Amino acid sequence: MRSTRRTEARIGLVALIALAAGALALFFFLPPVPTSPTWLGAGADDAAPHHGGTFVFFHESDVHGFDPHTSYDEISGMGEKLLFEGLIDYDYDVQLVPRLARELPTVSEDGLVYTFRLREGARFHNGREIVAEDVRWSMEHLLAPATHSPGLAFYSLIDGFEEYQNGAAHLRGVEVLDRYTVRFRLSAPDQTFLNAMAMIFAYPVPHEMYDQEDPARHPIGSGAFVLESWEPGLRVTFRRNPDFFRPGEPYVDRMVYELNLQRGAAYMRFVRGDIDHIHRFTPSDRYQLTHQAGWADYRVDRPLMTIWGVGMNCEMEPFTDVHVRRAVAASIDRDRWQRARAGRLLLNGQPLPPSMPGYDATRPDQHHFDLDLARREMALAGHPVHQEGEHWVADGMETPVEMWVGEGETGQMFGELTQQDLANIGIEVRIRQVAFPIYLQETGHRRTVQLMLAGWSADYPDPSNFLDVLFSSSSIHETTSENRAFYHSDRVDQILARARIERDRDVRMGLYHDAVGMILEDAPWGFVFTDTKLEAWQPYVRGYRPHPVWDQMYRDVWLDLPRRRADLDLRPLSAFAAMSPFGGRP
Amino acid sequence: MRALLTHRFTRRLARSVFVVWLAMSLVFVLTNLIGDPAIATLGPRAHASQIAEFRAAHGLDRPFHEQYLSYFGGMLRGDLGRSFRDDQPVMQVVLVRLPRTILLGALAMTFELILGLGIGIVAALRRNTLIDTLAMSLSFLGVSTPSFLIGLVLMQVFAFRLGWFPVGGYGVTPAEHVQHALLPAITLALVGAATYARILRGEMIDTLRADYVRTARSKGLSRSRVVLAHALRNAVLPIVTLVGLSMPLLVGGAIVTETVFGWPGIGRLAIEAIYSLDVPILLGVVLMSAITVQLGNLLADVVVSRIDRRVKNEDDLPSL
Repeated sequence: MRSTRRTEARIGLVALIALAAGALALFFFLPPVPTSPTWLGAGADDAAPHHGGTFVFFHESDVHGFDPHTSYDEISGMGEKLLFEGLIDYDYDVQLVPRLARELPTVSEDGLVYTFRLREGARFHNGREIVAEDVRWSMEHLLAPATHSPGLAFYSLIDGFEEYQNGAAHLRGVEVLDRYTVRFRLSAPDQTFLNAMAMIFAYPVPHEMYDQEDPARHPIGSGAFVLESWEPGLRVTFRRNPDFFRPGEPYVDRMVYELNLQRGAAYMRFVRGDIDHIHRFTPSDRYQLTHQAGWADYRVDRPLMTIWGVGMNCEMEPFTDVHVRRAVAASIDRDRWQRARAGRLLLNGQPLPPSMPGYDATRPDQHHFDLDLARREMALAGHPVHQEGEHWVADGMETPVEMWVGEGETGQMFGELTQQDLANIGIEVRIRQVAFPIYLQETGHRRTVQLMLAGWSADYPDPSNFLDVLFSSSSIHETTSENRAFYHSDRVDQILARARIERDRDVRMGLYHDAVGMILEDAPWGFVFTDTKLEAWQPYVRGYRPHPVWDQMYRDVWLDLPRRRADLDLRPLSAFAAMSPFGGRP
Repeated sequence: MRALLTHRFTRRLARSVFVVWLAMSLVFVLTNLIGDPAIATLGPRAHASQIAEFRAAHGLDRPFHEQYLSYFGGMLRGDLGRSFRDDQPVMQVVLVRLPRTILLGALAMTFELILGLGIGIVAALRRNTLIDTLAMSLSFLGVSTPSFLIGLVLMQVFAFRLGWFPVGGYGVTPAEHVQHALLPAITLALVGAATYARILRGEMIDTLRADYVRTARSKGLSRSRVVLAHALRNAVLPIVTLVGLSMPLLVGGAIVTETVFGWPGIGRLAIEAIYSLDVPILLGVVLMSAITVQLGNLLADVVVSRIDRRVKNEDDLPSL
């Protein structure tokens, strides 16, 4: 018996020694991770974009289809922006500009009629010219119930929408005036209609695409690139569209979209020069890239059009009381959240993100951390807070409160941060973490979820996309509410309704400013932060800059080829790297 | 004799079908409990009419027992339905992914057998020497280290830093598929190899002491013949059984390994299906996995009975 124990101890000891020796060997002899780009461009002039080359980008998940009418997610959108073109689009200053339309549409005095004149000679990938009838047909296909489009709600003000939903043969509000002119009539004025028309849903698609067996896998667009091949779960390849309506564009011959690539592996490939743009990082990779001076000219860390906070159900105790809601909003220690996320958040105590028109960074009423204020608000709500031992107790507070968060470690982390913050005002929080679809489903049900980690990402750059969707009572439904706080204020509703039709931009922004003030005062959410996003690209990638609206928009890039390898610091085992049987990218 | 074999095979097949049905039924019930695929698929902005249309189109508005019977009826006709998410036939989606996971599993199995048997034999023959201690120490490390950590370390060192292997992915040509599979397969194989090595070492030590091995030696047979033809043949039996039983571990481990290496097999597909509540795809993955595991077990049993003629009766075989 003693002998066996001695043998096991010896095995354990040798295993530890082997592990330590292996770790030391790795530390001393492996080639270092490059701290600057390994591949550089040829040095071309910015003013003269080069043609040619292959641009490689990636995503962590799989693409489910490139059907502009049904595929509405970041992963599909990255490809759809290559394959399809809209009548109008946003430039890099968030201004609407014509694309397939010859100019921006004319709008009638009453704001009900929008007339688009199409560019002549623009063609779909199948060679057929795009005409007004294609726009009309596309809208009807988009809004047909059988299409199951998630974009339906954006176009509900088109005249005849309800009848069409209920079986009418045609959508009355879209009329073809001549071969190149199409007119949209709305049932009520809507200043966000052009934003909706700039969404991918409204991009013209030929009916021939839907005559095929599997249209989402065989897209026929009018965009800068044509689908060349699709290996399910692996990669999608696009080739340059020689008949693109903008002569000379695009610049790159081929785009390769690598799928299902985890962010850790993607970073390694990026550093090796196998991928040309990266937008998802592990925390350690993100830290490395942001602290390496060599990448300074080829990276951007910017706020996104998102808001995040702690959502409170205004129809459920204890959050029916505005003082409790204000107490929660003031109890959130935002700097601690920032530290927990290693400085990656942009703290933002209001319901609009900083890049959104109508945002006012200086407004004094935005939510901020003030524990004294929070405790005073609890007292006003009839729940004075006092300390018992190490704990804070709110008199008369029914606890615990259940907080719903989505899957993933960040959801759990924000849940725990909220739990700790609310403990300081005597509210005990129990975290419930569920898969995101279930989170969406249950938080949309009336009187179901008390407290939630709430967030929203813009569909288009207009305040209404946040305020109407999240805080108007028109977004409250029994089972599918987007207003998940179930916040109802007649004053806010009236202002938002006015703003929706107001044509004077300054007046409109003033109305939104007022609405934001009322929402901050009523505190249906405790507003906390806006996401930031780090992106980086290879030095030989030119013409790329993050688009303010679209995720990873690669359409306009060009490559400064031939690329050349930068001088690298070599250590002993680096020589072994030359033994690689895999040649890598030329 | 042939009738007896046919009877045994039929019984065995029936038991496998029962296991597959049970697994499918469990998943079917559970996925019906955890959420609404209509909202998961159409997103938070879906119109109520769209949700109703989606439910009707996929039969989700029917009573549970009707859905259940309809699904299993379709399955018997070879129709596994269509993906909620991208409307592709499930059979087509799964059959594209399955060969990739099988390639990974086959390579992993090959590596773990080569490594495990090799290390186990050497350790047994060099018992209580430095070589034995080193071999067992390495297997101890292999058994104790989670496969995702092994994968990350191997990828960081051999793919990223040294550049000897591709960093994840699948490649384009068949040769590249194999190249890309090497590191994930080694990752999957290390845990199994460590287990096999430890078990085989013990079995070999016992077998080498057995009377029939001593007799074989006294007859003047060569050392290699004694070890390979006599000792190993008997010592390897538990390994063959373990190989069969390790099929679920390979499929389960593939979920982790495929995620780390971005290998586009059914493991990744299962994860995506779970996140998006794509129930038909999830059921398709479970079906294919269950069938693969059952076939693997059956194969292991056949091999055991071939190696060891004492295993004549089906009841001697390990249960499923």
